[in-house]
Amino acid sequence: MNIHEYQAKKILSQYDITIPKGAIAYTPASAKKIADEIAPRGPWMLKSQIHSGARNNGYFIENEAGKKGGIRKVESKRELIKESEKMFGNTLVTIQTGPKGKIVNKIYVEAYTKVKNLFYAGMVIDRMEPAVTLLVGKTEDDDIIKVTLNNPEKILKIKLSLDQGPNVAQVRQVLNFLELPSNAFKNLKKFINGIHKAFIQYDATLIEINPAGLTKSGEIIALDAKMSFDDASLYRHDDIKVLKDEGEYIERNLKASKYGFDYEEFDGSVGLIVNGDGISLALIDLLQQQGFDAACALNVKGGVDKDKIAAGVKIIMTNPKVEGILINILGGFVRCNLIADGIVSATSEVGLNSPLVVRFEGVNKEYAKEILEKSKLPMEISEDMLGSVDNLIKIMKEND
Amino acid sequence: MSILANKDTKVIVQGITGNQASFHTRRSIEYGTNIVGGVTPNKGGTEFLGVPVFNKVSEAVKETKATASILFVPAKFVVDAAREAIEAELELLVCISDNIPISDMIRIREMLKGSKTTLIGPNTPGVITPNEARLGIFPENIHNKGHIGVISRSSTLTYEAVIEINRAKMGQSTVIGLGDDMVIGSDFTTSVEKFIHDDETKAIVIIGTLGGTYEEELSEYYQSLKKKKPIIGFVAGRSVPYMTNVGYAGDIITKGHISAQDKKNSMSKAGIVTIDRINDLHHELLNLVK
Repeated sequence: MNIHEYQAKKILSQYDITIPKGAIAYTPASAKKIADEIAPRGPWMLKSQIHSGARNNGYFIENEAGKKGGIRKVESKRELIKESEKMFGNTLVTIQTGPKGKIVNKIYVEAYTKVKNLFYAGMVIDRMEPAVTLLVGKTEDDDIIKVTLNNPEKILKIKLSLDQGPNVAQVRQVLNFLELPSNAFKNLKKFINGIHKAFIQYDATLIEINPAGLTKSGEIIALDAKMSFDDASLYRHDDIKVLKDEGEYIERNLKASKYGFDYEEFDGSVGLIVNGDGISLALIDLLQQQGFDAACALNVKGGVDKDKIAAGVKIIMTNPKVEGILINILGGFVRCNLIADGIVSATSEVGLNSPLVVRFEGVNKEYAKEILEKSKLPMEISEDMLGSVDNLIKIMKEND
Repeated sequence: MSILANKDTKVIVQGITGNQASFHTRRSIEYGTNIVGGVTPNKGGTEFLGVPVFNKVSEAVKETKATASILFVPAKFVVDAAREAIEAELELLVCISDNIPISDMIRIREMLKGSKTTLIGPNTPGVITPNEARLGIFPENIHNKGHIGVISRSSTLTYEAVIEINRAKMGQSTVIGLGDDMVIGSDFTTSVEKFIHDDETKAIVIIGTLGGTYEEELSEYYQSLKKKKPIIGFVAGRSVPYMTNVGYAGDIITKGHISAQDKKNSMSKAGIVTIDRINDLHHELLNLVK
């Protein structure tokens, strides 16, 4: 689960990390009021709150929003109102949002803070170790992924334990790597410890502060913040769960996650219902080898309740981009007959408007086929994965 | 022979009285698996599915001499259940449970260091040695006894690989699902090493997927081996543009950009036969025989 910058900053500030003064605005008028409260004089920063990095290098689809990106520095109150009016309600596109972009409904208004020694600080999980890993780099580039790909030597990685933050030698190593003045040691230690504590406390999978910098008074300040959390751990973090911004997710996604399923949308025309990420990837590979692509994929992992499965199937059947449906279930934990029941129940409610090809293997496969045959629904039953893909593509081509 | 588990392996089931656990334990017993007991706190002293239930793993091990356990407990109890199994010095722990927090898995991996236990999973169909032992949730009817070892990072593609082996009129020595999660108990190399020392196994099938560097580590290991057996490898996800998947942000940052194609290339370079579609597996298996 992802949260917004302003939410991440609030969490980090509770762990002794210094952040600029700021508050969240929903209208230009409230943006002005906040500006009055946080700093008598400008400049101020207006920061679009959408779940995406690289907002500064993004652009708005609507002409009225102007040519500047999703993060704007304003000098006067008049400019603040004018720029926030341009941003509110318009659609910001970044390299992470995809071409559709996201509508800006919230702007974080901050006091502009002058800093030097800008750097990147992040914390992630290195799955191979496995361990929590601190990453720092002296970079002003907005896109850290680009830096790690092109200049990996510019990033220092330090493995940390779950229970302890960095030791003195590690803090010194970071200080030297970032070429920070030696009197910043104490604040740097506090800063890294804060990131580590927040990361562990909340079962984060990612914290990124890009950039952080040194203020005139020698504080280390987080100018931006991004946090993601481990979905599997949310049951023990009610205070994080409530931060979920449902506006950031498409409705079909929210529905699927309500039933405990994974759901993803793509640019193609085939709706996939599967019970595993591997099979979903392999099916998309096969579709693409024949010039087709998935419109969406629903992973009914661990689905053992037929009403939930019916609800999941309905999500796919009511997606307007879906022109053909491919169901590929390898029963183990998930039992094929429950999927069959789910298909029958969903189609009886919303009808079956696209060609459907089903392939079952594994636990209760024959029983499942019986259920489908009895239902008299127009569908093809295939015996293997490749055959199911070929079958569906053949029907879709005929229908074209 | 086989690896990890055979018909003589004494197995307990942690969380045996749960709904999923009892459904699959019953099937495992019918399959011939030597299930000797179960563990469910507060139900010790009772009997379930014809085997004794204990409160603790240590008690179960003392009474039954079990060396392996299948773990079916809810996610939030997995750390404690795994600790019990590791402290009881079980050789094999197969964790079927899914949705386990990553930090819990890091703690479990810490406990495993220097221990006697091999962890398979979590979020895995388990380990199956056809006609001998089913430790997990595999659809048992698709498996046939034979000489091909299977190690897979994708639960569902494990079944596809097994079906392909059957199509080549061959069978499996042992099939291992490593688990679909971000942090798992074992990598490919541990099981490849065992397969290479197993007389019954003539060739190995590897199913890889996006994320991590498991396939790269395997390639390096395979290249360093003096005694080899043929390996056929498949990596799912070649059509997925890596960057779009936010779930791999940590991966990209710590390890750089690794696509399915990169993984496939590293395997080819190491002398592993690679295939583009899993449905080509039976052809390659037949080629091995030629």
